[in-house]
Amino acid sequence: MDSLLIDASLLQQMLIGALLGLSVYLPLRCGQLSLATPGFYAIGGTLAALLSTRVAALGGAEPVYPLSSVLLEMLLAAGLAGGLAVGIGRVVLRLRGVYLAIATIALVEILRVTTLNQESLGGAVGIFGIPQPFLDPEGYALFTLIALALVSWLCDRLERQRLGRAMEAIREDELAAACQGIDTDRTKLVAFVLSAVVAAITGVISAHFLNSWNARLGNFDASITTLAFVVFGGSRTWAGPVLGGLTLTALPELLRPIGDLRLIVFGLVILVGPLLLPQGLITPERLQRLVRLVRRIPPLAPRSEGP
Amino acid sequence: MQDLLQLLLNGLSTGAVYALFALGYTLVFSVLGVINFAHGAVFTLGAYFTYFLIGGAAGANGLLAGLQLPFALPFWLALPLAGLGAAAVALLIERTAFAPLRQRSADPLLALITSLGAGVVLVNLIQLLVGAESYAIPTGALAGLPAAVRIGGAQVRSVQLLLLLVAAVLLTLLTLWIDGTRSGKGLRAVSEDPTTARLLGIPSDRMIQIAFGLSGFLAGIAGGLVGLSVSIAGPYFGIGYGLKGLGVLVLGGLGSVPGAVLGGLIIGLAEACVPADLSGYRDVVAYGFLFVVLLVRPQGLLGRVLPSKV
Repeated sequence: MDSLLIDASLLQQMLIGALLGLSVYLPLRCGQLSLATPGFYAIGGTLAALLSTRVAALGGAEPVYPLSSVLLEMLLAAGLAGGLAVGIGRVVLRLRGVYLAIATIALVEILRVTTLNQESLGGAVGIFGIPQPFLDPEGYALFTLIALALVSWLCDRLERQRLGRAMEAIREDELAAACQGIDTDRTKLVAFVLSAVVAAITGVISAHFLNSWNARLGNFDASITTLAFVVFGGSRTWAGPVLGGLTLTALPELLRPIGDLRLIVFGLVILVGPLLLPQGLITPERLQRLVRLVRRIPPLAPRSEGP
Repeated sequence: MQDLLQLLLNGLSTGAVYALFALGYTLVFSVLGVINFAHGAVFTLGAYFTYFLIGGAAGANGLLAGLQLPFALPFWLALPLAGLGAAAVALLIERTAFAPLRQRSADPLLALITSLGAGVVLVNLIQLLVGAESYAIPTGALAGLPAAVRIGGAQVRSVQLLLLLVAAVLLTLLTLWIDGTRSGKGLRAVSEDPTTARLLGIPSDRMIQIAFGLSGFLAGIAGGLVGLSVSIAGPYFGIGYGLKGLGVLVLGGLGSVPGAVLGGLIIGLAEACVPADLSGYRDVVAYGFLFVVLLVRPQGLLGRVLPSKV
C-alpha cells in the first residue's frame, strides 16, 4: 500500500483533527473565541488512560479491549467534561473577545501543569500501555469516521434549528439578539458545553489510538492549531472546520518528503491562508453552490439511444 | 531578612523580564487591538542574535553548522544590536501578517492566526539554521563584572542586577517618550481611535510601525538578557515566556503601559515566593493570578473600562 499517499493511521489523525475543529467551531459559531478545546481533550484522554489501565473490570476476558468499555469511557468523559464546562462556562463566558481567549488559554495551562505534577494523573512520564480495542489503524479510522459523521450530522441539524440560528444571531450582534428575546447566556453556555463534550470523546478515542497519554498532548500549541483548523476551513458552517482539520492535519505529513522545510511551509500556509481566504475555504454560500452543482449532474442512467 | 531580600531581588529580576516582554504585547495591542502571537519568536531571535554577535559559534545540527561571525562584540554593544535586529524582524512581521489584513479591513481574529503562522515560520527557520540544541551565552561576556555581588547579605548575580537596570532604563525611556513627545502623543491618539487620528493628520500606519519596531526591540533585549542569565533552551524557548507575557498583559490591563510593568513585577515576585518543593507548580501561579483577575476585574489592575458601544 506504499503507493497510497494517505494510510489509515494518517487518516485516523486527520479525523481526530476534524473532530477537534468541530469542537472549536461550536463556541465560535456564537462568536465566542474559546481555546479550551485541548483542555477538555486532555481530560477525555487522561480519563480514558486511567480507566482502561487501572480498572481491570473494563478489560473483559478477551485479549482485545471491549468496544463497549470504550463507549462507556466516552460516556463518562462526556459527562465529566460537560459538567465541568457548565461550571467553568458560567464563569468565563462573562468575558468577551480576546479576554475569553486568554482566560481559556490560562485554563488549559493550569490543567496541563497540574497533570504534569500529579503522579496519579500520569505526571511528567505519562500513562503507557493503554489497551487497544482495534488491532489495526483501519479499525480506528472506521470508528472515528462514524463518530465524525455523527457529530457532523448533529452540527448540521443544529444549524438548521432554533438553537443554531440563535447562535448565529449572537455572533452577528449579541445585543440585537438579546433584544429579539434570545437567552444569550444560555445559548453560549450550551455551545461551550457541546464543545467540551466533543473534545472529551475525541480525547478518549485518541488515548486508545496513541497507546500512551501525557500532559503535553493538551498544550497551548494545540489550542492554536485547532483554532487554525477552523479559521482556515471556515467558521460559518460545520463543513469548514471538518475540511480544515482534515487538510491541516495531513499537511505536515504530506510535506514529509521536503524534510525540515515542512513546518516552515505549514507556517506559511496558515500565514497566507487567511489573507487569501478571509472567510475560510468553505462558506455557506460556496457550500450551497456546490450542492446545486452536484444536483445538476444527471444521474448515471444508461443511455439507450445512440446518435 | 536576608532571605527576604534575596527573594525580592530574584522576583524583581524575573518580573523585569516579564514586564519588558508584556510591554511589547501592550504596544501592539494598544494601537491595533490584537495580540501578536509571533512576539515569543521575536524574543527568541533576540537571544540568538546576541549569542552570535558576541562571537558564539553555531552547533553541528543546523544548516549553518559551525558558523561563527568573524568578529566578537562586547556584550554591551551586542545587546542593543540584537534588539535592533529583533525590531527589524518585528517590522517584517507587521508587513506580512498584519498590514495585509488591515488593508482589507478583515476580522481582527484573523491576525491571531497569521501572526501565529509567522511565529511558526520563524521558530522552524531557527531550528533549520542552527539546530534545536541549547546555547549558553557565557557569563564571561560581562567582562570586568564579578559573577555575583553581596547586597545587605544577599548574594545577587550581576546578571540579575544588569537585567533590573536595563529594564528600568528602558521602561523609563519608554514612559518619557509616550508621555512627553509628539510622536508618543501620536501613538496615544492612534490607540484611542485610529480613524479620528488619521483624520487629524496623524500617520496611523507610521505609528503602528513604530509600535511594532519598539515592541520587537524590547523583546530582543529581553531575549538577550534571559539568554545570558539562564541560557537559550532551543528555538521554542520563547513560547513559555510568550504565554507568561499574556498573563502579565491581562493582569496589568490590556493596553496599559504601567499595568504591564506592575503585572510583570507581581507575577515575578509571586513565582519567587513558590517554595522549592512545589516548584513544579510555579507556572500555575501566573495563570491562576490571571484567571482570578479576569473574573474579578476583567479590565486588569490598571486597565480602563471601555463603554460598550451599541
